[in-house]
Amino acid sequence: MIIGSCLCGAVAFELTPPLRPVYACHCTQCRKTSGHFWAATSVPDAALVLTRQDGLRWFQSSATTKRGFCGGCGSSLFWVPEGEERMVVAAGAIDTPAELQTKAHVFMADKGDYYEIADGLPQCAGFKGDEGA
Amino acid sequence: MCHCSQCRKQSGGIWASAQVRDTDISISGPVSWFEATSTAKRGSCPRCGSFLFWKGAGEDTISFALGAIDGNSGLRVEKHIFTASKGDYYEIADGVPQEH
Repeated sequence: MIIGSCLCGAVAFELTPPLRPVYACHCTQCRKTSGHFWAATSVPDAALVLTRQDGLRWFQSSATTKRGFCGGCGSSLFWVPEGEERMVVAAGAIDTPAELQTKAHVFMADKGDYYEIADGLPQCAGFKGDEGA
Repeated sequence: MCHCSQCRKQSGGIWASAQVRDTDISISGPVSWFEATSTAKRGSCPRCGSFLFWKGAGEDTISFALGAIDGNSGLRVEKHIFTASKGDYYEIADGVPQEH
């Protein structure tokens, strides 16, 4: 069992492995919400249990996607592509050592001008879902 | 670039910021402030949750998220800080100085 939470604790969750590898997303929306770029794993809906959700707020970020954050502390926690029955979960929110590895940097076409990525991982202009496979 | 556990929780990854004097920034719209400790407060958008600001108590400066900047910032990363608290799922390999 993998546990995670927001900064203030008003949103907490449990994840049942396996967890998808982490993708680091440099799209404009992820850059805005995170403050830099957003790194996330993904699990089927059935593998995530919210153990505390009184702080959870949702923002409809596009016609088919929404972002979950904590209204108490502002932590960026979830991204949900509607109809895919999965939850994309911020790697930074996870407390348990989960042996996750970053698989690729995606939406690099939108990346900021103030940093370079030099970790040797695949860098993709967009994201089709199989980057670095 | 801050890798402390608080910035990791709030950003979801790493938080990148630059700093200005209070007199050199103008903030419009509501900001939700959260004090994780008594020494600093963190500002986010109450509507979408974007992590925007960090302000140390008693300081006359404010840090703002570089991800929030529209268009080119013209800035460069100066250092990685609190790397002792970094996540296990990434490596830092950009050659920028690191402070534990």
